[in-house]
Amino acid sequence: MSDVTDETLTYSLPVDSRKVRLKWLMTALVAVGAVYVLSDAMSNYWLRTFISAAALAIGSLSVSVLFAQLGMVSLAQFALLGVGGWFALRVSHGLGVPFELAILAGGVAAAAFGLVVGLPALRMRGLYLAIITLMMAGAIQVLISAFGFPDGGAGILGKSTGARVMMARPFLAQTDEAYFRYVAVVLVLCYGLVLLHVRGRPGRAWAMIRRSEVCALAGGVHIVAYKVWAFALAGFLAGVAGGLLAGGVGQLDGSAFPASQSIMLFALTIVGGAYSWMGPLIAGLMLRAFPALLNDFHVDGNIATIVFGAGLLHALMTAPKGIAGQLQDAAKALRAKFPGKPGAAR
Amino acid sequence: MPDFMPFFVSGLATASTYVLSAVGIVVLYRASGVVNFSQGALGALAAFISWSIVERGGPEPVAWLAGVLVSTSLAFLYGRALAPRLAFSDPVMRAVATLGVALILLGVMGYVWGELPRRLRLPTDTMSFELIGVRVTATRAIAFALAVLSTVAVMAFLAGSRLGLQMRALANNRDLSALLGVPVLRADGYAWIISGALAGVSGILLADLQRLSGQTLTFAVIPAISAAVIGRFSSLPATVAGGVAIGVCEALLTPVPVVGPFRTAVPFVFSVVALLWMQRKSTFVYR
Repeated sequence: MSDVTDETLTYSLPVDSRKVRLKWLMTALVAVGAVYVLSDAMSNYWLRTFISAAALAIGSLSVSVLFAQLGMVSLAQFALLGVGGWFALRVSHGLGVPFELAILAGGVAAAAFGLVVGLPALRMRGLYLAIITLMMAGAIQVLISAFGFPDGGAGILGKSTGARVMMARPFLAQTDEAYFRYVAVVLVLCYGLVLLHVRGRPGRAWAMIRRSEVCALAGGVHIVAYKVWAFALAGFLAGVAGGLLAGGVGQLDGSAFPASQSIMLFALTIVGGAYSWMGPLIAGLMLRAFPALLNDFHVDGNIATIVFGAGLLHALMTAPKGIAGQLQDAAKALRAKFPGKPGAAR
Repeated sequence: MPDFMPFFVSGLATASTYVLSAVGIVVLYRASGVVNFSQGALGALAAFISWSIVERGGPEPVAWLAGVLVSTSLAFLYGRALAPRLAFSDPVMRAVATLGVALILLGVMGYVWGELPRRLRLPTDTMSFELIGVRVTATRAIAFALAVLSTVAVMAFLAGSRLGLQMRALANNRDLSALLGVPVLRADGYAWIISGALAGVSGILLADLQRLSGQTLTFAVIPAISAAVIGRFSSLPATVAGGVAIGVCEALLTPVPVVGPFRTAVPFVFSVVALLWMQRKSTFVYR
């Protein structure tokens, strides 16, 4: 008995339990609970709306990484979503690989595509990146509407002449409810990937570039390389989002990726709050759930566009942190007003 | 080998509308430091308003004037009321804010007029003359003449007038010019008026030459911005050359079999090449 030591006593948690705030644990638990309850409680229409909202939250995350970390403005992220969706569909139909591999392929392809096209602008001032990516969004719109999305046919383009084949959903998530949970998990993984970058070496380099490019250069930071890295990461996230979108419906519509959608995605990321983790979630909801809500009330969808445009102007002029920032400010003000028990306050 | 001559002529006309729009963008950027992404949307609004007035039986000259007037006053209002609030932020942010304007205008146009296929008809469409074996409608000739005229007028204005001198001073160094007593807001306001008027004229012509659609006309800003990139947002002659090259290339590619459907990607290719050309010497500009 003496040579068996109790391993449980010496084993320590990989994370210091004092550093994990109860608040975050509660938030995570509530989120998991909400995803489970929501997916069972919603009608099919709303379930599909939420699936695409979650996928677009990843797309918005890609905008916010560029904007919040480096102040880079990319107006082509929704178009890159289309590129990722195209490759995911192509790989899924052509090779019959598992869903996970298909969306990874979509992510990598979108990152590579974005990089090749964005490279000339990444070496110049920010304004040129905005201009080049706007044109890129226009060019991708042309490409997608000319080629269409693969739907199970032969050849490089994969256009079938007969019935359209749906993209195979992941093995784990065949139903809409399960797929919603699946997308939620991928969303969390994408947040984790971004957090890993921000907390790590690239995040430090980005912070330095953000503060001053001259200082970063003097400090030995390769500015263009880290900008390229950020752009590639954002492209990857957008591509993954495109793959998830394709998996949700089973196919993609060639007319659903106009340049105006890319502008809308950027605008809503700013409106939602690019600097906060809540921002992309709010942006995804506004991009899909808000028009669906208007649709429910039989209000013209163009009203949403007007609201988003006005929201962008408002956010840029008076609320640079967006809705997320205003929510956080409101929470802070509430906490200051009602401090609660002295022991409970952090 | 298809006959390229008719495409060349129609390309020159489309190019003229790009030039009109691009000259507005460059003048505005030089004077106020704002790249106006809503130039196309302003033109689209002008075209829709003219179309509506003509549909209701209004006299045509009044309709065109009203369209241009609306785009001009909207540009002026934005430049006077909203743009100064962003005067001290990054150039990218000031450009991105105009995307908000474009979205609002897109939404309004979609709500009021919808995306039905329409075309604005100008009476000059039916008049035409022969030029080296090609029939040229008067609208195309007028578009070309307007582009040449307005470019020359704007260049003369910048070179000769006191206001033009002030705009050039602002383009050189905003802070120093303000210190020397250049009325910044006044010069800015006039720049917005010039660019709004050019946007309106360009939009009405383009709605006649191609089609009257909010989305298409709003994103006609892409070739115009591309032309401005070729002119580095400062040189008007280079901008004009860029606009003409883009418009003509787009049109000439129309009858070419394989690449024809992708001709709208021409502005993108042009500006990427222009950016690469600007980087041929490895000069790095840090702010």
